[in-house]
Amino acid sequence: MPSWSEFEPFIVSGLALGGVYALSGVGLVVLYRATGVLYLAFGAVGAMGAFLTYAMIQASLPDWLAWIVCILFGGVITLIYGMIFGPPLARRDPLVRAVATLGLTLILFGAMDLLWPPTGGEVRSISLPTDNGGFTVAGLQVDWTQLIGLCAGVVLTVGTAAFLRYTKLGTAMRAMANDREITATLGVPVRRVEAAAWFGCGILAGIAGLLLADLVQLDPTTLTFLVISSLAAALIARLRSIAVTFVAAIVIGVVHDLLTPITSLTNYRDMTPFVLAAIALLWVSRHRTVMTRSREEA
Amino acid sequence: MNRYSRRRPRLAAAAVAVIAIGGVIAGCSSNNSNSSSTTAPTSSATSSAPATSSASPSTSAAAVSTSSCGTKPGVAATGTPIPLGGIVTDQSGTSFTDISNMAAAYFACVNANGGINGHPIKYYIETEQTNATQIASEAKQLVQSDHVVGIVGNTSIIECSVDSSYWQAQGFNIIDSGIAPECYSTPNSAAVNMGPRYSSDGAVQYALTQHPSKIVFDQSNVPGTTYIAAGPNALAKAAGVPITDDATNVPVSDANSVAIQLVDQAGKDGAVVLNFTPPDALVILEAAQKLNIEGNVKEWGCSTPCNTDFLAKSLGSKWNGKFFVNAELTPPDPTTSPAMSLYRGILSQYGKAVSGGIGSFSQMGFTEAELMVKALESVTGTYTVASVNAAVKALKNVDTGMLCQQWTYGSYSMHIPNNEDYTVTPDNGEMVIAPNGGCTQISAVDPQIAQYRSEAGTAPSDPTSSS
Repeated sequence: MPSWSEFEPFIVSGLALGGVYALSGVGLVVLYRATGVLYLAFGAVGAMGAFLTYAMIQASLPDWLAWIVCILFGGVITLIYGMIFGPPLARRDPLVRAVATLGLTLILFGAMDLLWPPTGGEVRSISLPTDNGGFTVAGLQVDWTQLIGLCAGVVLTVGTAAFLRYTKLGTAMRAMANDREITATLGVPVRRVEAAAWFGCGILAGIAGLLLADLVQLDPTTLTFLVISSLAAALIARLRSIAVTFVAAIVIGVVHDLLTPITSLTNYRDMTPFVLAAIALLWVSRHRTVMTRSREEA
Repeated sequence: MNRYSRRRPRLAAAAVAVIAIGGVIAGCSSNNSNSSSTTAPTSSATSSAPATSSASPSTSAAAVSTSSCGTKPGVAATGTPIPLGGIVTDQSGTSFTDISNMAAAYFACVNANGGINGHPIKYYIETEQTNATQIASEAKQLVQSDHVVGIVGNTSIIECSVDSSYWQAQGFNIIDSGIAPECYSTPNSAAVNMGPRYSSDGAVQYALTQHPSKIVFDQSNVPGTTYIAAGPNALAKAAGVPITDDATNVPVSDANSVAIQLVDQAGKDGAVVLNFTPPDALVILEAAQKLNIEGNVKEWGCSTPCNTDFLAKSLGSKWNGKFFVNAELTPPDPTTSPAMSLYRGILSQYGKAVSGGIGSFSQMGFTEAELMVKALESVTGTYTVASVNAAVKALKNVDTGMLCQQWTYGSYSMHIPNNEDYTVTPDNGEMVIAPNGGCTQISAVDPQIAQYRSEAGTAPSDPTSSS
């Protein structure tokens, strides 16, 4: 078993990885709470935006313009999807709505494979100015992009929770996620509220894609399916609590990296999100059963 | 009626959206897929419309004449095509299409300059995704549908293992870039490269010259890791240096923890040796750089895939003299030999599909095509499977201009014709020969190398590969 000092750097790197998961996980929960749709295309939208940024930078266009296009692409493509497929799928089962977003995932994934095919020679990457500089923790350099990734998760968590709770639009979104028909009957402009939710989620996907392309790797598969690991965090929060999603993502990231120096477990560390999600869901299910029995006996 | 009238605008909106998305995608793309994933005869296609290069800016020899690739400069070949084929891995995280695309570029050059006695080469490239059934059917398609008479440019994680017996039964002698053990251990496959095992041997061998206290060898977690690690382990153990083997899932999504683990395992006086494709090697090295731990070990090493200017440029000057890469082929940056000039010229004029530009992968494709052309030129009479493959087998002591040694196919039970290598290091965005990194024989401590040398002996040096 490694010593504590050997674990220390992995806590720091785990926090950075957790921040990465939190960015996507929180975005997933935000849209689910607002529209009732589990947006599985979150990663692919961000990845596509990141590749557009890469293409624009390669074409010698200004970096800032490329970043804006990445973020706006996320918003626009998600808005278009939401406006076209949102209403017809509104009355369908949540599972059907989630699976429908896989269609967009596959289209974007295929487009990336077609436009930027995998290559053994070319190395693609995006660097942000915040990669330079930073500070040292436990002997490791933490750059500003990593810090931004982590802080973005916190800001997103607090900001979105406050938005959903304290603003008119946020209240409308929550009501709509509960029951679209009744909310419409009450005079809420359902289409407009939905559009805002889809666009907002897409913007988050764009921001996450840009940061993750820098923090993880500019690779269509990695970025598209990173959302699966983030989904574990969202599932631990049962797609309800943004704060729990954030904490779960951080815990997943830290546990994942803490397993790295343990020789017997290191090859299984990629299973961490799913094992933790399974444990959490089993615990919740068992806890609920016990609570229900206690209530019945009382 | 109302329902229909409501649907129309929605359908129209969907159509507009699809067109708009398509427009955005098409407009913003800077890179197009080439025909490597199809069975289209790519060499013919490229020869009719020579393309501008996508190679790195160091392809400064754009003006170099490429006419020396053929026997009749400027005269396009119009005879009956000679069909050749190749199978390459092209999947997420691992793609070797640069090799077959460079071979296609070479053939396009030959076709534009007289062909093979007036016959153009038709080159069919099949791509695969590490699926044995798919690979076996592609081999059959090349033979039965495309009627190829030679196989060249194969570069696949498992193709040699899957198709070796089939090629042998059909009478093919393959010229390839090897990965799987069967690419080196069978009588009908000869590679221009050393492959991951012997290249990793070379990287570890160089690392050992720096007297590290320990070696940590990390590679992609793909089929064959035990076979590959056997070579580096034999070398390290013979030198009395402890070695740790790691295997990392690719694409690498947790580069920070991988980098920290490697550095921790190696220790201050240890060496880390990687065996990954350039994108995955880069994320690990960049992670080490961002975490500021790249200096916490004595040195970093890597097998041949890291030998690309893209990597040297991406890493920056921090790695100069710190990172040593095995180079199975002559380093192109400091070399100005006629062969290297031709390579640069073909890459510039015909190599649009070679996304990595100058680097080991495109050099391998060039060398394989060059050897196949030499074999075809020696055929008298018709080009059949029998005549072409007999000519391939007869290749002996060929000066390729790309290898330390002359290249021989021969009738051996196994083939490791490239077993002498260079070591390069990044220097201001280019890979240059490292101190004491000139042609060095891979140690016969690796039992496979020892067995090959006992059969084939040691090949003479290639005088055309030096500057």
